Formats: sequence, C-alpha cells, structure tokens
Amino acid sequence: MQNPRDFNWPILFSWLMLTVMGLIAIYSATQGPVSQFLPTYIQANFYKQLGFVVLAILIMIGVQFTSPRTFLQLSYPLYAIGIVLMVLTLFFGKEINGARSWFGIGPFGGQSSEFMKIATILAVANYLTSRRNISVENIRYAFFSVCIILLPTTLVILQNDFGTAIIFLALIPVMLFWSGLPYGVSLFIISPALILYLTVLNWQFGLAAAVIMTALIFFIQRRAWLTVTSLVTGILTVIGVQLALTEILKPHQIARITAFTNPAYDPTGAGWNVIQAKTAIGSGGLMGKGFLEGTQTQLRFLPESYTDFVYCVIGEEFGFIGAVLVIVGFIILLTRLLSSAGNHKHPFAQLVTVSVAAVFFIHFFINVGSATALLPVIGIPLPFISYGGSAFLTNTLMLAICLNMDFHKREFSIYR
Amino acid sequence: MYKSQGNRTRTSIRSLQVIMVGLCLVVLGRVFYLQIVQYETYASLGEENSIRQEFVTPSRGLIYDRNGVLIVDNEPIFSITVTPTNFDREKIPLLADLLDMPDSLIRERVDEAQRYSWYRTSPLLTDVDFETFSRIQENIWQLPGIGQQTESKRHYPTEMSASHILGYLREADRDDYESSPEIRLGDKIGKSGLELIYDDTLRGKLGIEFHKVNAYGQSLELYDGERSGQNPTQGNNIITTIDSELQAFVEKLMKGKSGGVVVMNPKNGEILALVSSPEYDVNRLAGRLDRDYWVDINTDSTRPLYNRAISSRQPPGSTFKPLMGIIGLHLGLITPETIVHNSGGYRRGRLYRDIAPLGDYDLESAIAHSSNTYFYSLMDRVATQGDFDRWSKLVKDFGLGVPSDIDLPSANQGIIPDSAFMDRYFGKRRWGLGDLINLGIGQGVISVSPLQVAQMTSSIANGGYRITPHLVNSVQTSDGSVHFQPTSFEKIEWVKPEYLYIIKNGMRRAVQEGSGRGYVKNNLIDIAGKTGTAQNPHGYSHGWFTSFAPFDDPEIVVTVFIENAGWASSSAAPVAAMIMEKYLTGEVQRQWVYRHVMSWEPSEDNSRGTD
Repeated sequence: MQNPRDFNWPILFSWLMLTVMGLIAIYSATQGPVSQFLPTYIQANFYKQLGFVVLAILIMIGVQFTSPRTFLQLSYPLYAIGIVLMVLTLFFGKEINGARSWFGIGPFGGQSSEFMKIATILAVANYLTSRRNISVENIRYAFFSVCIILLPTTLVILQNDFGTAIIFLALIPVMLFWSGLPYGVSLFIISPALILYLTVLNWQFGLAAAVIMTALIFFIQRRAWLTVTSLVTGILTVIGVQLALTEILKPHQIARITAFTNPAYDPTGAGWNVIQAKTAIGSGGLMGKGFLEGTQTQLRFLPESYTDFVYCVIGEEFGFIGAVLVIVGFIILLTRLLSSAGNHKHPFAQLVTVSVAAVFFIHFFINVGSATALLPVIGIPLPFISYGGSAFLTNTLMLAICLNMDFHKREFSIYR
Repeated sequence: MYKSQGNRTRTSIRSLQVIMVGLCLVVLGRVFYLQIVQYETYASLGEENSIRQEFVTPSRGLIYDRNGVLIVDNEPIFSITVTPTNFDREKIPLLADLLDMPDSLIRERVDEAQRYSWYRTSPLLTDVDFETFSRIQENIWQLPGIGQQTESKRHYPTEMSASHILGYLREADRDDYESSPEIRLGDKIGKSGLELIYDDTLRGKLGIEFHKVNAYGQSLELYDGERSGQNPTQGNNIITTIDSELQAFVEKLMKGKSGGVVVMNPKNGEILALVSSPEYDVNRLAGRLDRDYWVDINTDSTRPLYNRAISSRQPPGSTFKPLMGIIGLHLGLITPETIVHNSGGYRRGRLYRDIAPLGDYDLESAIAHSSNTYFYSLMDRVATQGDFDRWSKLVKDFGLGVPSDIDLPSANQGIIPDSAFMDRYFGKRRWGLGDLINLGIGQGVISVSPLQVAQMTSSIANGGYRITPHLVNSVQTSDGSVHFQPTSFEKIEWVKPEYLYIIKNGMRRAVQEGSGRGYVKNNLIDIAGKTGTAQNPHGYSHGWFTSFAPFDDPEIVVTVFIENAGWASSSAAPVAAMIMEKYLTGEVQRQWVYRHVMSWEPSEDNSRGTD
C-alpha cells in the first residue's frame, strides 16, 4: 500500500477549490434572486451539480484503489465503446442548443463526446508508447495516431459540436510534440491557429505573425523545406481566412465573428453575449458586488450564466479577487500536473498526464477567453466550475486517473 | 529511446509550463484590464442595463357639466401581456381556456409578439373584461411569461352622447410626438372636440420613475438609488357650460334627423347644448381601437363625424331677415313705418317670387309673415346705393362670415360676401344686382352655420351685444383652484335699442301669427323666433328655426337646423319649441308636439305655410 504522503495533495486541493467555487457560482446563477425568471428545471441544476460532485468524490476515491495498468489495458476497448456510443448519439441522440451530443437511456445519460476525450487520450497514449520502436518521427505512426484523434473529431463535428472538436484537434500537436516531434515541426503545426486568430482581428497582424513564426521555426530547426512550407502555409492561412470572412462563411457565422471584433455592431443580437459578459466581469471591480448581488447575473442579463459564462458570475460577484482565484487554481493544477508528468517513469503515464493537462488548459483558455472577449464566443465549459454532469464527471475521472498514476508511479514502470 | 529523452522531457515540461502559465497570465491581465482599469466604464454600463426610466402617465382631467354632473371620467382597462422568451408554449391550451378563446388565436398572437421581440413584453390581449382579468390573475403562477397591465380609458357615465362636443382620444402619431416633448408614441391624446382643444389642460404632466429591470425589460421594483423620479401631475378638470340633461333631451329629439342644434345663453355665450345628428358612439372609440367601427363612421354616407352644428355651411334663408331689418334701419334705407306692397313678388329685371299673403307690409309684419318682397327691395336699395361692402361689414358684426371663436375644432366661418369676394367668386364685373337681391332673404352666395345663426340671434335677444360662444366655463387645477375662462360681452356700437324693439316684436309675431303659430305658439312661454329655408339643389330644402325666450328677458336661444326638412315650420320649429319647454318649465308640456317631433319624417310638403 502506498504512503498517503505520496499522494499529490496540491492537485486534489486545487480541484476541490475550483469545484467549490463552481458550486457557489452555479448556486448564485440558478438559486439566487434570478431563480424567479428561470424555469424550475434550470433552478434544479444546482442540486444536480451537487449530486455530480458527490458522485465525483466517490469516483475520485474509487479510482485510487485500481492499478494504473488497468487504464493501459482498457484503453482500446474504451476507445471502441466510445466510438460506438458516439455513432449511436449521432442517430439517436437528443439535441441540446443545436448540438446532437446527448445520449441517454431512461433517466441516465450524458454527452458521449465528453467520455470520448478520456478514451481518445488513453488510446493514443497507449498506441504511441506501447512498443519501443514506435515514434512519431516515423511518419506512418504519426499519421495513424492522428487518425485515432480525427475519427472522434469527425463524429463530434457531425454532432454539430464545434467547441469540443477544437479540444480534440488541440490534442494533436500536444501529443505529437510530447512523443518526440521536433520542436520546429511542433511550432509549425500550431502556428496556423495563432495566425488565424490574428488575421480575424486584422490581416496585417496575421501576415506579421506568419513571418515571425517562420523566422522562429528557422532558428529552432534550420531546415529549408520546413521554413518555406511554414511561410507558404502562413500566407495561405491569411488569404484563406480573408476569403472565408468575405466569401465563404454564412451570414450567421460572420455575425458571430463580427460580434467578437466589434460587439457594438449588433448590441442586441450577436453582440449581446459579448457585451453582457464583459459588462458582468468589468462591473465586478476589485471586490465584486457580493454573493447573489450581481445585477448582470441576477437580472438575467448574462446569458448561459451557469454554463459557458460561469466565469462572469464569479467575476461579477467576487470581483478581481474571485477571478484571480480561479486563474491561480488552474495555474496550480496545471503546473502540478505537468511536474508530475515529469516524474513519471512510464511514458504512457507521462503522455496521459500531459494530455489531460492540455485538455484542461484549452478548456480554461477558450472559456475564459470567450468570457473576457479575448476570443470569439466558443461554447465550451470551464472545467470543474461550469454546470454539466458529463463534463464534470469526465474531467474528474481524467484527473483521478492522473492522480492514480502519480500515486502509484513507483509500481507503474516499464521496468516491472 | 526513452532514456535519451530525459533531457527532452524536462525541456518539454518547462516549455509547456511556460506556455500555459504565460497564457494564464494573459488572461489575468485581461481580467485586470476589465475589472480594474475599465471598472468605471463597465460599472456604469451595468447600472444602465438594470435601471430603466419609465414615464408615468398622469390621469387625464375629468369633465363636468354646468351643474357639476360628471360627464367624462376615466375607467381602468385590463390587458394581458406576454414575454415570449419566458412563455411556455405548452401552456397555450390552458391560457386559451382561461381567456375563453380558440388555441389558434392565442398561438397567432404569441407568434406575433415573438416576431416583435423575444425579450420584450408585448400586449397579448387588450381591454379584456375584469372577470377574465381576475381569472388570469388567479392562475398567473402557472403561466410564466404572462403578465398583466392596467391602463385607463375614457368613460362616459351620463345618458347623453355629446360626441361632437367631447371628441375622442387616439394614440399619438409621429406628427404629434414630434410637435411636443410632452407626448410620446402611443400616448392617448385628444383628436377632436374638447379633448383636442383642451388637450394640454386635460393631459397633465408626465411623471418619471426609475425602475429596476431584468434583461427582459420586466420591471421588478422601484429603484431607490441616487436618481430620483418625479411624480406625475394630474390633468386639470374642466367644467363645461353643457347641461347634460338638456343635451340628452336634444339628442333624443334629433334622433333619426340629420342636422344641428345649438342652445345658448344669449347673455354670456354659454352653450347649454350642442347637437349634431347623426352622432357617433364615443364609447366605441375609447379603449381598444375598434377598427371596423372606425372605418364604418369614416365611410358612412351620412357622415356622423361631421359636426353639423358648427361646420355646416348653408344659406340662412329667412332667418336672415331680422338682421336685414336692423341693417336697413341703421343705413336709413327704411324706417319702421316704411310700407312695401307684396303683389306676389318683386319685379326687378325678373320676378323674385314671394309666397307671403298679398298686401302691404311694414318692417314688423314683413318679419312676422316673412314677406320676401320687403327684403328684396331693401337689398336692392343697399346695392344700388353702393352700400354693399358696408352691408357686409355690418352683417359680420353679428358674427356671420367671421370665425366664431368657439372652443371646438373645425368650426366653419361661412361666407358673407362683399364686392371683393364677388369679384373672386364670379370674376370681376361678372356679377350684378341680380346676384345681390337674393341675399336680402338669405339666399344666394351666403352661408352660415347653426352656431352662427344662434350667435346672431343672441345679439338680437341680448340687446345688441356680441358674445363669444363657448363650452368651457372654468378649469379646475389639481390643487383645487378654479380658473374661469375669459368671456366677452361687447356692445355692437351701431345697434340701437329701437331697432331691436321692432325686430324682436316682428319675431314674436312670427311665432304668434306667422310660421310659428302651428307648433311653437303656446300659453306658457313667450317665444320669439324665425323660420328659414335653405334651398338645396340636391333634394328637399333644409329647414331653419332660430328663437329666443322668454321674450321680455331672454334666457335661452335655440337654433335648429334640419337637413332635407321641407317646411321648417313643422320640422325645425317644433324641435326648438320642445327644447324651450323642457328648459324653461322643466318638462315637456305639449305631448302632441313631442309626438310630432319624434315621429316626424322628412318630406317636401308635410305642412302648409310660409317661412
């Protein structure tokens, strides 16, 4: 039996802190004075979330008693089950907010794509680390591992859930990078995302980013073909985005992007969410308006206050202090996870832990970025804080697996 | 491979940690910018969001009659509203059941509200009865998104209609709200009658309230922060000169007839009753706009919206003869003793017919028996002595052909010609004596309204004073003080009592022995009056009767004008007689006359006689 002192308490502590802050925010957004404007099924969300937290604690404890090898062994079957569930969801799922992502039998059910995140991470990690001679430097293996990720990504896009698709796609560079992809190539893979973001703001920024990224790649890895490819890709991205903005995208999609770059253009329509979210956070000030006192939240100006914009509730009612506390919680969680990955002896454990940290980070960055209008509004939840059973349980399970592997790191080694 | 990667692992972890923490700090910087740097901006934005300025419509002033009887007050109307985003469509059957309306209609209305706005509150049904309103109120807890509103509408508690006096309210349109900062789109403002003329007085002053609102614009509570509102000032009450009982009686008499009646106090111009028939129903124009009814009354060929009592333009006919007499005496063209012989007409280029009994007439008997010849010859002399323009001016001194200044909209000033007018009308030198002689008996290019005839009659009855006819006696402000409306009582300088003595006697004899002897003459009240016929090229002639009583000290002037009446002596005259009886004795004395009036049908020769 392991010594409890070896358990990674800081990670558990940060998890608990974020969860409690989430419960407080969800309580405020569903049970506060705002409840008079909410249908009862939304008011009930707080109690449901409370149930999920209890269930998550049981999972957290239970997982610690299993062997890390179990996850290794279960990775492929879980992946297969996940894919089947996603296909079933596609045909028999329930549509919520435009995305057909909820699959259930009777009262039990959830978002299969959430569960699929774990399965995909485990499967790719297993594939990339199962044999000594597999390395992503071999293009065939790299291609196959990308396919393992792209299959659920495609299904998620078919379910019309673009937010989750971004998470899956973001796994690709992280996992390949961790498995030995050269730094220059890794940078090359993520550079289009940065160029795209800046081009939406202003195409000159995008072009500048393309040049700077290319220069950076050249310095890291002096390879002519890579530098040229990077520059060409960068310029093509800028042109492509410009074309998409003016020619290809449909009006409602353009409206969403305009809402990001200039919310005042349509303040009661597409710009509404952005303006109300910024107003909620900004009006919180240093100390916040106080628990259950936020006018944006309690008078229902803030949309999706208990899910996608939950960060605004905290920002409004607990001010800069509350908002920073969330960021600090995530910084502790992420840095600790990455450190624990560095201590692992087993590459599977390393890759899983890094991927999980990456998934949490991308969720955090996109969600808070949307809420603070750093990014266009992309509807994905804030881990451990937003309301949502599937996401909360999945995220906790992922963290529990990481904690388990950290707890058992001595016995989980390729040398045994 | 893994061992060789120990270095790489450490570097990778470092770089990932740097990227993640770096981006976390970017987010933190953003939050710092929003919450600390931009705090002021967003704090005020947040406050603007949740506070709404609302106008509080003051309650509109009430209207009383001369005896303090409330004739116009306000009544609440109940509306059901819907906020589509909160509304649960599965509740439509329940709602339909409570409202006792078909599901499809409710669905249609909800759709309409939804098209307007998802978040704003729209009316679902306006002007529902109180019972339905309470039913919704009891069940409101199971109807999310459904709300209630109380507004007010005009209510008319008395029997009379008085539609042409009171007028109606309508929602202000663009022109209205652009003309005054006090008016907002959708406010109810006066569009006709006293409601229009005294709109500023009755409307009161808008109040301002600050409400705490939610994102749907629902008002939650009064805001109790720094900004303070302003209480509305209630509209002023107006006290009219109308006698509501008499008005109702006159309306009853005029039912089924087309025309106008003016009942006025000759001493001060107070209008006791003013009726234009047919009427329209002001009740149906209060509250929710009854579109069908509105189209109906606007397209009706009998033109119920047209105020015949003040807007009609008709030749005064023989009711003009007394004034002719006064002017003749003043101009020195006749004396009371001047005799004119009626031999069946007046011959001047052609024969101007006269159906009064043949014989000699002096001024008094010429009025009494309405001899045309007398006045043809008088007008002939006016014209040939070059006094036409002077004649026109003297006539206007009696209120004809000039604005009457009554406090009602769309009063007509009529036409009293002078040579400049005739030049315009016929063309220079295209008119002559033949066009003027007719004016002597109130025919030809001359038109007046019943109100003007009443005004002229008042000036005769009150001893030669010009008065301003008016409907409002005083305005009572919300603090209780009463402000009387200015009235005028101005001597017409050139009118001498001796002229009026003869004229009034002539009018008295017209009732005693002339056209009034059939229906007007009675033993109780000493009435003086004059009938008249306005020639109508399109059908039966229109009938006039103007009168005052009691003869010695006139308290009341009654002018009746009935379209297509045929002979005035059996149509207009008995109506006036009944009004006199009712007002001066308190009740109808001669039932047979009353029955005659009530069963009267227009026809050319339903009575014999002259005018």
